[in-house]
Amino acid sequence: MTEIHNPILDVQGLEKHFGGITAIGGLDMRVGEGITGLIGPNGAGKTTFFNCVTGALTPDAGRVEFADGDITGKRPSAVAQEGLVRTFQIPRELPEMTVRENLQLAPRGQSGERLTQAWLRGDEFATDEVRVREKATEMAEFLEIDHVLDAKAGTLSGGQRKLLELARVLLTEPDMILLDEPLAGVNPTLEQKILDRIHDLESQGYSFLFIEHDIDVIMETCERVVVMHQGQVLTSGEPADVKSDDRVIEAYLGEEV
Amino acid sequence: MALADFFISLLTFVTIYSLFGLGLNVKFGFTGLIDFGHVAYFMIGAYVTVFVAMPAGLSETYEGLTGLGLATAFAGVPGGDLLGWLVALVVGMAAAALVSLLVGIPTIRLREDYLAITALGIATILNAVFHNERWLFNGAFGIREVHEPLSGVFPIGTGSFQLNLLLFGLPSVAILGYAAYRTAKVVRPLGVRPALLGTGATLALAGSVVFVITTMTGLVVDLGVLALNVDNTIAFVLLVGSVVAGRAALTETDHIGALLALASALLFTLWYLGQPLVALVADGETADLLLNLFWLYDATAGSAGGLDYDRFFFLFTLAFLVGAYLWVERTVNSPYGRVLRAVREDESVPEALGKPTFRYKIQSLMFGSALAGAAGGLWAANIGFIDPTQFASTVTFFAYTAVIIGGTANNRGVVLGTAVFWVINSGTRFLDDFFPSEYAQQLAALRLILIGALLIVILYYRPEGMLGEQDYDINLGRGGASDD
Repeated sequence: MTEIHNPILDVQGLEKHFGGITAIGGLDMRVGEGITGLIGPNGAGKTTFFNCVTGALTPDAGRVEFADGDITGKRPSAVAQEGLVRTFQIPRELPEMTVRENLQLAPRGQSGERLTQAWLRGDEFATDEVRVREKATEMAEFLEIDHVLDAKAGTLSGGQRKLLELARVLLTEPDMILLDEPLAGVNPTLEQKILDRIHDLESQGYSFLFIEHDIDVIMETCERVVVMHQGQVLTSGEPADVKSDDRVIEAYLGEEV
Repeated sequence: MALADFFISLLTFVTIYSLFGLGLNVKFGFTGLIDFGHVAYFMIGAYVTVFVAMPAGLSETYEGLTGLGLATAFAGVPGGDLLGWLVALVVGMAAAALVSLLVGIPTIRLREDYLAITALGIATILNAVFHNERWLFNGAFGIREVHEPLSGVFPIGTGSFQLNLLLFGLPSVAILGYAAYRTAKVVRPLGVRPALLGTGATLALAGSVVFVITTMTGLVVDLGVLALNVDNTIAFVLLVGSVVAGRAALTETDHIGALLALASALLFTLWYLGQPLVALVADGETADLLLNLFWLYDATAGSAGGLDYDRFFFLFTLAFLVGAYLWVERTVNSPYGRVLRAVREDESVPEALGKPTFRYKIQSLMFGSALAGAAGGLWAANIGFIDPTQFASTVTFFAYTAVIIGGTANNRGVVLGTAVFWVINSGTRFLDDFFPSEYAQQLAALRLILIGALLIVILYYRPEGMLGEQDYDINLGRGGASDD
């Protein structure tokens, strides 16, 4: 097991129970820079882990540190403002708003999002909005959804929704992104496109924690893999080591691949 | 009461309730908060405005808290009572916003339907408190000492009949003309044939109603309100003709809105100008026609006619409505408004993107409630008397109906929907004269049935409302680039 010496995300003793069911039971995880894969069988607690880390759920016990600050139990918006954002397993586009508006919503620190600025419209207002519009258009071009910018987001195809979801979190310019199955239900061409983009972004300094079921994708994409099982970390390390780990094979992979 | 006076009072009603509806639209249309207790802020705005403006010791029968007397506080300044009233209105708005903050903090985290029920409960409790606590605002006895700003100044006029007519009459005709022009623009996309069919259907319907009312009154007494006498062949033929022509018009065009606008404009013209025109031809009676045409001019106000208080007050409320409209437009056409709509669509998304949605929801609630409070203050000054029964929960649901009919998340739709609602609910009241008075309750119920039917039709065929959601554009002014 490789040790992460300067983790961005450091989770210690995380617990989450739903009634009598333990979804997360005393989980420790350290995630460093680069792309980290998070795998595990269905019901292993991966999404619950995301929810606890990003504040959508309040953990029953444990501590979550991000970039050396304690973010345990903070509201999702506060966690996102710290630079840790997540995508949703099922894309959550804002259906009655255009793709452009969906994107323009995302950037952090827009002065026009304050009520007083919306009313008084100081100098910052226009400058910020111009910047936001440019960034949204650039991001749409980067992810190749610029041709649907003026469509209502509710009319997008499944794959386009995945891209929109990704584009939105990228526009917040985070330090780390938690991706919840960004490739599920995506055709192979689009899948490759999304993976290429993730690699591009990694080289620009973004870090990812990446839930994915396709072990081949994990092998190719990730520098490090964490395996969860029954609400705990089963093992972690280099993809090749993890893949040949007997416990992983038994719990998740089922057979030698 | 002349028709023009009725028209003015109807317009004032529509204006005040539109302001109330704009507040609801901020909460419900743009933020997705289902506040079934919206009327509570209308009530608080009305009571607090009245309370702050009311001088002490005006009445023996008032046993509530002593008023702050702002209406007389600036007595030395010209227009001082208006100034005092405006301050009172701002306090009323602030009070409404503050109460909504207190209500919002514990409830706004609730899921939408729970929020709706909780808000309804709180509004009901507040109403019961206002109703039963006489020491507060005189309880069920209400407040009669409502200050009406500038009421001492009116009627005003120049002293010259011709000049008055020019000053107040001309704008009236100009406004009617402009309304006709805008209606023509809406009706324009309609083809000639559907337009003719629609006109025919409307005229036939109106004719049928006129026949029934003018010839069948005696029989209606005997048989009850709903008993149309089929023996009246002309009325029956006209009614059937109206349905046939109406159906044909509907199948021949996709512009149903234009068709409805045409029919409404025709009915309005028949009602407002046709009736006095008949009187003119029949009896040489010109007074009603002139009164209706120069509706802002009141010949009986002052020695040479002029602007009376009711007409002034309509313009006064209209100014508030325009101001509120622009204010809400500015709010929603901004990045702030974008976050509000994101909250409406799926709250977890803006939250996950770093927007503190709790704050946005509370602010939206307070803003909408403040507008409801302003509507309340105007309502009190318009009616001149307030008591808790005026602020029953039905007022909230009337406003919801109006917003849904006109177009949720559309500020113009709110005004349109409110107008449609109150025209059906109050505008048809003149028809009551043709029916015996013992049917007044049934007729009132019939109106609500009509509105309910309209609501169902709208929800079924056009759930987004007559106008649908509005478009958004963030105006960056000079130096700002617009979207593509």
